[in-house]
Amino acid sequence: MNHLERWQRKWRRLTWGDVISTIIFLLPLLIFLVILYGMLAWTFYVSMADWRGTAPNYTFVGLKWYKLMFSLDRFWVDVRNNLKWMILGVLPTTFVALLLAYLLEIASLPGTESYIRTLILYPVAMSFVVTGTIWSWMYQPDKGVFNTILRALGLDFLTGRFTTDPATATYWLILIFVWQYLGFAVIILQSSFRTAELQEMIEAATVDGAGRLRILFSVIVPNIRGGMLILISLLLISALKVFDIVYVVTFGGPGYSTDVLAFFMFIATFQQHLVALGAGLGVIIFLLAFVVVIPYTIYAFRKWFE
Amino acid sequence: MRRRRLNTLTILALGTLVVLTFAYMLPIYVMLVASLKTPLEISQRRYLVPSSHLHFENYTQAFTLVRQALVNSTIISFAVTLLAAFFGSLGGYWLSRSRSTFAKVLFILVGIALYLPYQVVLIPLVQIMAKTRLALTHLGLILSYLILNMPLASVLMGTFFLSMPRELEEAAEVDGANKLQTFFYVITPMALPAYASTAIIIFTQVWNEFLLALTLSTPKTTTIQVKLAEVKGSFVALYNIQMAAALISVIIPLLFFLALGRYFIRGILAGALKG
Repeated sequence: MNHLERWQRKWRRLTWGDVISTIIFLLPLLIFLVILYGMLAWTFYVSMADWRGTAPNYTFVGLKWYKLMFSLDRFWVDVRNNLKWMILGVLPTTFVALLLAYLLEIASLPGTESYIRTLILYPVAMSFVVTGTIWSWMYQPDKGVFNTILRALGLDFLTGRFTTDPATATYWLILIFVWQYLGFAVIILQSSFRTAELQEMIEAATVDGAGRLRILFSVIVPNIRGGMLILISLLLISALKVFDIVYVVTFGGPGYSTDVLAFFMFIATFQQHLVALGAGLGVIIFLLAFVVVIPYTIYAFRKWFE
Repeated sequence: MRRRRLNTLTILALGTLVVLTFAYMLPIYVMLVASLKTPLEISQRRYLVPSSHLHFENYTQAFTLVRQALVNSTIISFAVTLLAAFFGSLGGYWLSRSRSTFAKVLFILVGIALYLPYQVVLIPLVQIMAKTRLALTHLGLILSYLILNMPLASVLMGTFFLSMPRELEEAAEVDGANKLQTFFYVITPMALPAYASTAIIIFTQVWNEFLLALTLSTPKTTTIQVKLAEVKGSFVALYNIQMAAALISVIIPLLFFLALGRYFIRGILAGALKG
């Protein structure tokens, strides 16, 4: 049956019942979307208003607060830190997850697969506040778990200042993120492996005598681009939005060495009451997220309406 | 040759197993051990050794601290989960069945809103909640989370609906059922696993959310995450209480995860658009 014909027939048969059912299906989603996009537009406007202090002030001042934002040293520290998050929080996670997922596929240790899945996936069920609470104790320089264990093993030279050293603090925060998202990444990649076509290709390559690493990088990786794209987009967004870990573990410190855009937005808006500046930071975060989410949306769109 | 390869592989896999077990069990293990010690025992810094006498009273103290917040989070998370799964299934079903231009435009708008950073709606949301005084009750946070989780709930449910066969709907239509009847009597009973997956993802998300809760919650509606951050701040040296409170806070989501792990994984995969 032709699509067009079917649609034309449906149009002609359109009844009040169909209209009402469409309204019931769509109305909640539409209402919530309108509110959501309304608030988005509202924030855009606030970022160009002259709102400082607790009372709203909607006087239009154009890019005044953006100019201030771009002149702030703290803003550029945040941008750099967010870039670190988006590179080091995403690429190592994806790479390690790829190796792990492949290892789980090819190594046949009976019973271990579900064990490893549960083991590395449970942090996904926990909040960053909880993991932040544990890890900030583990990182604590003089009484923390890591340094205590290292000293007990006589490995004093390996002890570190972790999140109290401004030069490296952000990296230790990113490690928490990688730890928490690794299982999530493995699950997504593993399911990408399991298509009939890919399994056939792997078999063919094995027959041809290709080594395992070669199969992984020349056969599997090019054929799971869809899964990789989704995974990397999701990780990028999470790394961009990161707020909880910074708030709980370092509160942006020492100084503002671990500050990120999302944290500065919170401080600017709710502590310094520079609401227009906070809105501007929100807009910047949104625009960055928007760029990241475009490939995801296009991919999803194609898949959905194929 | 083949044998030797298999052996290296087994050794590699076993090595990975040990490293992962260590990396993922150590945090939760030290946490558990510390939560049962006195501050004095913790200060002796023998973190891997459980205390000779288990101090369960830490949990009583921690529980008293977080009880109200646990109740608040339970009310908020369950309400949002139920509403988002229900409304999301309606919107998601329509999106999965309509091929119209309107559906395509709507899908793009949903896609952009799917992982919207909360920062970009935070200021208006605080204004609305303060003006309408909704922030004083649980309803404020419930509505906020519902609005923000609606796109995700729709896409998750829709992804499952897309993978369901159409024959039954066509049969129901031939039998004279209208769209709503078809949805509620034919589709919904078949989609129960999809509801479970969507619900567990939304629940975990709302339970663990921090930024919005931090800015919107009032003393009467404080959520568990906000309370936990507060406990961490005010019981700085009392790691035993901190860890006990943290463990109490993960019991509910962790139980869901362990009991409904299959649905949890299916939910994650649906979020990655694999129905």
